[in-house]
Amino acid sequence: MRVFAQEKHTISGVLKDENTGETLLGATVFIEGTTIGTVTNQYGFYSLTVEAGKRNIVFSYVGYAPVVKEADVQANIIMNLNLLESSDALEEVVIKAENKERLNIKSAQMSSTNLKAKTIKKIPVVLGEVDVLKSIQLLPGVTNGGEGTAGFNVRGGASDQNLVLLDEAIIYNSSHLFGFFSVFNNDVIKDVTLYKGGIPAQYGGRVSSVLDVRQKDGNQKEFHVNGGIGAISSRLLAEGPIKKDKGAFLAAGRASYGHLFLNFSEEQKGNIAYFYDVSLKAGYSLGEKDKVYLSGYLGQDIFEFENAFNNTYGNTSFNVRWNHVFSSKLFSNLSLIYSKYDYNLGLEFIKLDWKSDIKNYNIKYDLKHYLSNKITLDYGISGIYYNFNPGEVLPSSPESSINNRKLQNKHALESGVYVAMNHKITPKLTAKYGFRYSYFMRLGEDKVGVYENNQPVTYNEELKIYESATNTSVTTFGKNEEVKNYGNFEPRLALSYQLSDKSSVKASYNRMAQYLHLISNTTSVTPLDVWAPSGKYIKPQLADQFALGYFKNIKNNAYSFSAEVYHKGIKNRLDYIDGSDLIAQDFIETQLLNGKMRSYGLELQLQKNKGKLTGWIAYTLSKSEQRTQGGTIGGLGINNGDWYNTSFDRPHDVSVTGSYKLNEKWQFGANVIYQTGRPVTYPNGQYQYQGLSVASYDERNANRLPAYHRLDISATLTPRKNKNRKWKSEWVFGVYNLYNRKNAASISFRQDENTGFNEAIRTSIFGIVPAITYNFEF
Amino acid sequence: MRRVFNLKYISIVILLSFLSCEDVVNVDVPNESPKLVVDASINWEKGTVGNEQTIKLTLSTSYFTLQNNVPAIGASVQIVNLNDNTSTNFVDNNDGRYTTNSFVPVLNTEYRLDITYNGEQYSAVETFKSVVPINDITQTTDGGFDDELTEISIFFNDPILEENYYLVKFQLTTDVLPTFFTIKDEFSNGNEMTVFFEKDDEDDELDALNVGDEVDIELIGISKQYYNYMSLLLDQADSQGPFSSTPAPVNGNCINLSNSSNTPYGYFRLTEVDKTSYTVQ
Repeated sequence: MRVFAQEKHTISGVLKDENTGETLLGATVFIEGTTIGTVTNQYGFYSLTVEAGKRNIVFSYVGYAPVVKEADVQANIIMNLNLLESSDALEEVVIKAENKERLNIKSAQMSSTNLKAKTIKKIPVVLGEVDVLKSIQLLPGVTNGGEGTAGFNVRGGASDQNLVLLDEAIIYNSSHLFGFFSVFNNDVIKDVTLYKGGIPAQYGGRVSSVLDVRQKDGNQKEFHVNGGIGAISSRLLAEGPIKKDKGAFLAAGRASYGHLFLNFSEEQKGNIAYFYDVSLKAGYSLGEKDKVYLSGYLGQDIFEFENAFNNTYGNTSFNVRWNHVFSSKLFSNLSLIYSKYDYNLGLEFIKLDWKSDIKNYNIKYDLKHYLSNKITLDYGISGIYYNFNPGEVLPSSPESSINNRKLQNKHALESGVYVAMNHKITPKLTAKYGFRYSYFMRLGEDKVGVYENNQPVTYNEELKIYESATNTSVTTFGKNEEVKNYGNFEPRLALSYQLSDKSSVKASYNRMAQYLHLISNTTSVTPLDVWAPSGKYIKPQLADQFALGYFKNIKNNAYSFSAEVYHKGIKNRLDYIDGSDLIAQDFIETQLLNGKMRSYGLELQLQKNKGKLTGWIAYTLSKSEQRTQGGTIGGLGINNGDWYNTSFDRPHDVSVTGSYKLNEKWQFGANVIYQTGRPVTYPNGQYQYQGLSVASYDERNANRLPAYHRLDISATLTPRKNKNRKWKSEWVFGVYNLYNRKNAASISFRQDENTGFNEAIRTSIFGIVPAITYNFEF
Repeated sequence: MRRVFNLKYISIVILLSFLSCEDVVNVDVPNESPKLVVDASINWEKGTVGNEQTIKLTLSTSYFTLQNNVPAIGASVQIVNLNDNTSTNFVDNNDGRYTTNSFVPVLNTEYRLDITYNGEQYSAVETFKSVVPINDITQTTDGGFDDELTEISIFFNDPILEENYYLVKFQLTTDVLPTFFTIKDEFSNGNEMTVFFEKDDEDDELDALNVGDEVDIELIGISKQYYNYMSLLLDQADSQGPFSSTPAPVNGNCINLSNSSNTPYGYFRLTEVDKTSYTVQ
């Protein structure tokens, strides 16, 4: 008996970069000659359990030279290791040697993409700035409304249905300058993961996707500075050890030059539009088992228009995290997070100031338990306390005719508990199953309107319009008194079955609950839109998504191919009565109707991973619709109660991105993008009323803008003399929209002021935009 | 031209105008069959008897046609005072205008409009709304959107005891199109309120207000429902950038009693008006 009952021991540790001391996320660790393997977690930690004896342990990571360590495992071992970033010449060898791609085939996780900062850097973008959001829009299933629109849409979902996390802090607005820049400074980013489906149980609160962005920890070895000087914006980053190999800090800033940005046109000399952001990070090891991180972000956008109008808005976040390794099999992280989104508006021409914000305080405790090589358990709890300030109106000067007015603040607590099991059932079948239970409480102080028949919106049968009801009375709730609660059980399931060592099929199901709603009746989301919590009249959005996929690695991983289909149904999607008034609305429920959404599609992606030319071709065929029926309120509903296209429905979406390395000196990049035009509503006639020609409309979003397409190119010049000196530099030249297509951001219909005749006006944002940036590092 | 007073809309239009460019394009649009359009605006100008009134009936057309004013002839039109059941008949002028000189306006009274056209019966009910007078008109350059252009402002005292809704119309005597603003007293109840008119066409500096320009001004007291109707209508008429709301059918207060699916366009309103004009100095 003793012969067979071999003892088992655990090898655990943290993987880091040899040169910078940055932890490596998602690096592969496996035991040579076995199927036993794992990947490092979001803090670079791994844990493997093996039978006693001599083992060769292989550590590898994309772009790094693999390391094989021999160990005679007779007890639990802590093996912290540094990997050396390889030159590109070695990269091919690395990929051949490692098992990472094959592990991706094995992993039950599907519908997700991980991008390293390096990959993002190779993609040409508008205005010379490397950009996370622009990059993810090249992936299948991800689109946005075009130039000048904030946010992004995943699998036919709205942009407020994306959970955007920066070092775990919730970011409420992911764009600067209406989507021209993302709020993420690529210099600071270490790793970005987008989950479009099969969303892990540790995430909750948004129904469509999760974008998990992790910032670098800072260089633990040496002090370094890098930066870039561009035509539109500049940036600077400094990082270095607090104490060598123990702790590091990082500070980075970015700003665009407001005046330059607008001097495209002569008339706009008096106007200002710019943004800045600052990122801070510090990490420190308190012994072998504990590590503490501090992380902060501050970003602001500033607009001024001829002293008549000014507007600032931005995100702020701060967090403290504490990693503790309880044992070689149990890793934990405690996070305390504060984040805030605020906007201020000054309308000097009517002497009105407007202020609004949303704040949240978040506590999270996550544990990862490596039960065995077959089972890993993730579990944790979280609580988020929200404080919504929907708005305050102030007179901007004593002679203003505006009265001071403060809307009722709103408060809520969103808590969650989750358990997820990652289970290698057989060598070919892997499952990830678990659930999240979320519980949302609206808390006082609050004043809640009471309506006849409990209906804040009524239907006027005669005129066939939905009208706001006036509350008959108001129920007052005291501080922290519960106003309303919702609980939701959110099962998550993902399966992977390996057809061969090169291909697999995967399936997933997830239910997601979203308790926050972005109140916006415009076709594109704007920074001025207000977030509203679920409550007595607003129910949480609930999504059920099913996805099925086929994954294949071709020619020794030189190429990879994936095909996925999905169906997503969302309940309780808010819709708006015609003519809804969403500004400064204490009783927002009087403007809302309850509807639903559905989207489904096919996503194909062929990726070339190796060689001088790398990149991918992505194609998405999809449909995204919504429907709002009158229900108990009466009437047919919006658009006669029929399904209609959401304004982000893009049936065909093709993205091609490529990067070609000619030699050590020159590297080239190109993007080609083609999307079906955005759904819009065109007039079906006109009539004369009060001296005006008024357009009449019928079916909602039944027409489309012309197709959106463009080509971007870029070239990066790295001078040869860089090699052996401390000061390294590069020039990046780029052209956005090379053939100067005037893509329509909108087509509007109006009367010509002089002739009185009707005309259609196309608004386009960018034609061809050249950009140049000088990057340096020392 | 900015016809709409909408905080968010104005902000966003300004932001967008930073970066965008516009051009006229050809677009194929759908075309529905003609519907009756009721422009029944009973205006009682302060200081007049209010007996002379005109109602315009037209038919809707395709969007881009140049023959966009098609009169609806042969209708019978009357207004009934629902308080005393007296009715006033309107005479068909055979050009889309139906007129009377015997209307009796009574403030805060309900009236019903009855129309029979093409064998179908239409009806609408509305209350006669009053309005406060314009206190003052000023001419400045340093206010408004643009510090260099002339704007004229009107001032009036909002009554504190009620919710008030206003329609303000400015029209240069030489202009083809009027400029409307819909206003409510939500943020400024009981205060002296002001509305400014500044022509700041970006394409043409000469199009601004100049010395000698004559501007007709109307301050009109309106109902909440008409405020909603007109706001939506104006919003859709002039603001379809990427940040505008999705356009939708705008239903007025006229209903078709014979065939409810053939809803007419337009509105039946009864409003007191303070009318004046101003010459730019």
